[in-house]
Amino acid sequence: MKILVFIKQVADTEARILIKSDKTSLEIENKYNMNFFDEFAVEEAIKIKEKSKETLVAVCTYGPKRAIEALRTAIAMGVDQAFLLDNNSLNGDDPLITAKILAGFAKQGGFDFILCGRQAIDDESSNIGAMVAEFLGIPHVSSIMKLDIIDEKKALVESEIEGGRETIEVQLPALFTVQKGMNEPRVPLITGVMKAMKANIPLIDPYSLGLTREMIDTCAAKTNVLYYETPQDRPPVRIIEGNTPEEKVKALITILKEEAKVL
Amino acid sequence: MSKDIFVFIERKDGAVRKVSFELLSKAKEIAGNISSDSYAILVGHNIKETADELKAYADKIIVVDKEILQEYRWDTYTQAMEYLVKKYNPKMVFGASTATGKDLFPRLAARLEMPIVSDAIGIDFEGQEMKIKKPLYGGKVISWVTFSGGKNTFVTFRPNTFSIEKKMLNGEIIEETMDVQKDTRINVLGIHKANIKKIDLQEADFIICGGRGMKGPENFQDLEEIAGIMGGRAGASRAVVDAKWRDYDDQVGKSGKTVSPKLYIGCGISGALHHTMGMDTSKVIVAINKDPNAPIFQYADYGIVDDIFTILPVLREGLKKAKEEL
Repeated sequence: MKILVFIKQVADTEARILIKSDKTSLEIENKYNMNFFDEFAVEEAIKIKEKSKETLVAVCTYGPKRAIEALRTAIAMGVDQAFLLDNNSLNGDDPLITAKILAGFAKQGGFDFILCGRQAIDDESSNIGAMVAEFLGIPHVSSIMKLDIIDEKKALVESEIEGGRETIEVQLPALFTVQKGMNEPRVPLITGVMKAMKANIPLIDPYSLGLTREMIDTCAAKTNVLYYETPQDRPPVRIIEGNTPEEKVKALITILKEEAKVL
Repeated sequence: MSKDIFVFIERKDGAVRKVSFELLSKAKEIAGNISSDSYAILVGHNIKETADELKAYADKIIVVDKEILQEYRWDTYTQAMEYLVKKYNPKMVFGASTATGKDLFPRLAARLEMPIVSDAIGIDFEGQEMKIKKPLYGGKVISWVTFSGGKNTFVTFRPNTFSIEKKMLNGEIIEETMDVQKDTRINVLGIHKANIKKIDLQEADFIICGGRGMKGPENFQDLEEIAGIMGGRAGASRAVVDAKWRDYDDQVGKSGKTVSPKLYIGCGISGALHHTMGMDTSKVIVAINKDPNAPIFQYADYGIVDDIFTILPVLREGLKKAKEEL
């Protein structure tokens, strides 16, 4: 069985991010990680592989060359293969185009099912999973918390829905996006890290995946960043003074009513 | 392509969700500015009364009533929406950035190869065209996004982005039908609903969140009571969820839910970046913490420096009184 895992390298939540003077590009401090939700997807694939020896786990990302570091993390955790779909030749960052490229890669390499995080923590868009599934013509299930592979043709998943969970039987091939709490992503062992440092990670040109320039660049309908701006700063906090808890609460409620008008 | 604006209506236990009314209000405002129509797109089964309720909020209401559409599923709903978008060719289709919206809209956008902006927090005119406001990196940067390729476009917005305005319209109801097939590759075996009585965290107008300073799971009862009085919801920080004091469904923050209530109160929360990234679009933020140097005070509008356990009972009575006076 072959499991494909899509990951994204994202800026660390603590990374400094500045808007450049042209207002259409960003300067991001060089602190990157594998996307938080993708770690659960990688872990789940490795767990399945540990249970059945015939399983191969391949991980891939569409991104710049620095994203190789996130792929190395996945190798250190225990995946078999990693691929970087190099975005150097393409402008922009549009979900339809990213999904087309990932689907192109999946089609070429083959797979039994695909796992990815339910969303990336940098843009919180959660577009890619369902889009890739659509481009591949396979079913998807969002935000799964549990995955049991019944046999090579069928999986049983539990997914999070509004206010509850549901159990779904899905025919493979399929794509699943993974919710936090599905498992405990492992910390790579030093032997894994050594292996990852030496691993050969192929760079793949998106145009080698049967996609034309018209399809993923010039003629594609897509989104464009008009400009970036910094969010409005909140004024400094006003500490509510008072001699007793009663006085403080009373003053707070008056302010919330009369000044903030939220009560 | 028409200049009309579609809004995909979401329902919960049969009732139209608040976020759908928010989107209808904004859609009508924009449609009014460009002399076009706002459409409520209502898909489901036995939904006649719901359709009537929507008349006040939209110029037109398209109703697709079929047994196979009783429950939301991406396979059936994508087919219904694909048919309608192709037939009516609207300029934009609005949806909510909820579990349903995040499941349906990307699938639909891919099927129609139409560009999408997800999890947006605003929309405005840029000349004749529209630009979409979208936060990035947990709100550290705001991007304004436009579309190219001359196609219809999809946008999903966070709940609580727009205010609801009942326009007292008398929208025209249009019934539509199309062929819809279930995808036999997916088979739902069971649905387990919990927390049915709880308001959705992302839709709540009032959220009171507890952090590690709450000392233990038993003390969250105080927050539940206050949330109940305010018709809102109690939330939790990641530390609290990781310690299994509260369910993951309650988690506010980067790896939990992003919320923007009218009033957020943080109790015994230090204000780790992880948490503040999930709540700093709240309209008014109040922090209660005994440590005056807690980072949460950098994000708050108002703060009380005191022991949370002496403040909470007084706050509960104060809010109760304030509610009764309304």
